[in-house]
Amino acid sequence: MINQMQKKILILALHAGELMMKSGAESYRVEDTITRICKACKIPYVEVFATPTGIFLSLDEGSPDSDMHTFIKRIKGSSIDLDKISRINHFSREFTSTDLSIDAGLSILKEISNSKPYPLLLRILGAALVSSFFALIFQGTFKDFFCAFFAGSCSYGLSVLLDKIETNLFIRGFCCCAVATLIALGLFSIGLGVNLNSVIIGSIMIFLPGVALTNAVRDTLAGDMVSGSSKGIEAVIIAVSIASGVGVAIKLWTLMGGAF
Amino acid sequence: MIWAFLFAFCSTVGFSILFHVPKKHLASAGFVGALGWLTYTYFIISGSGNILACFAGSCVVAIISDVFSRAFKDAATIFVIPGILPLVPGAGMYYTMLAILEGNVEKMASTGTETILMAGSIAVALLVIASVTKLLTLLGRKLLTYF
Repeated sequence: MINQMQKKILILALHAGELMMKSGAESYRVEDTITRICKACKIPYVEVFATPTGIFLSLDEGSPDSDMHTFIKRIKGSSIDLDKISRINHFSREFTSTDLSIDAGLSILKEISNSKPYPLLLRILGAALVSSFFALIFQGTFKDFFCAFFAGSCSYGLSVLLDKIETNLFIRGFCCCAVATLIALGLFSIGLGVNLNSVIIGSIMIFLPGVALTNAVRDTLAGDMVSGSSKGIEAVIIAVSIASGVGVAIKLWTLMGGAF
Repeated sequence: MIWAFLFAFCSTVGFSILFHVPKKHLASAGFVGALGWLTYTYFIISGSGNILACFAGSCVVAIISDVFSRAFKDAATIFVIPGILPLVPGAGMYYTMLAILEGNVEKMASTGTETILMAGSIAVALLVIASVTKLLTLLGRKLLTYF
């Protein structure tokens, strides 16, 4: 017989963990949050193992005749959302320090999971800001600023589109960077850009694996070798996809007779 | 220098929008990134190599993020992730790719190594600062109980 109460706690803790993992939290933070939530529900034995692709959770009430329950949650796909991490962090603190009921907790979590990222237009503007100001940082001129603005917003738009049809991360990085490079080359050939390199560097900046890199280090530091190495591999794959996207685009351009 | 600060601030805010940093922290995340980039450019101007500059910049990002995370009672990730991104060697990657396309193996090896080392230096900087702060807080707690 499964204890109804225990099942609800399991669902609550796993849901919180899954949301955090998907939003790009480190493994030790996810494990810590799940443990804290379970301990707050007076479950003495909690063991969690969180990796970027799945969470394993065992609970036992500790009495001699109680069953031990183990759940596995497979995690698929991820999108970085630091707001969700912050809110779940606050939620777990609130849940452990006050006597919030489990149902209330579940409804709060549902609300957090339904929260939307910034509106699409604002995000495209953000991407454009990144690429255009990076073009300026890398010795771009005022003209390059606008080229990078355009190239960055287009490639980010494409990445949103590719996310919708659920392509894998290599194809996404490859296509977006190839398109950004082609746009930069095109604008350059009609005489709009001055410093081609700065425009391309600016527009590939959006897709760099900074999150995977920092999380890989933090996980490894915390002793989560599985998560650390898998995030490290993710970072390498993204970097390779970006480099090959740019490379293929430039090669294609010169093969088609464009000036470089 | 002021321009570099401003540009880095704007691009970090751009990253923060992409990663959905809470609205109230947008400006502080931008500040972290800009300060990291400022340190990087300062080290470059004063004549040290790319790798050391990158290391110093990441250290500053990690320290300020830690301070902010304590001040605002929020996860340090919110500041570290956007803050570190200007330092990630996108330019190095691009120049390595160009060298590959030109068939210039020597240039590819040198820029490629530098790029990898820069990424590594970011990682090491985060690692060092995290360990040091952990040690310091432990020490502080010990001292508090001692007195």
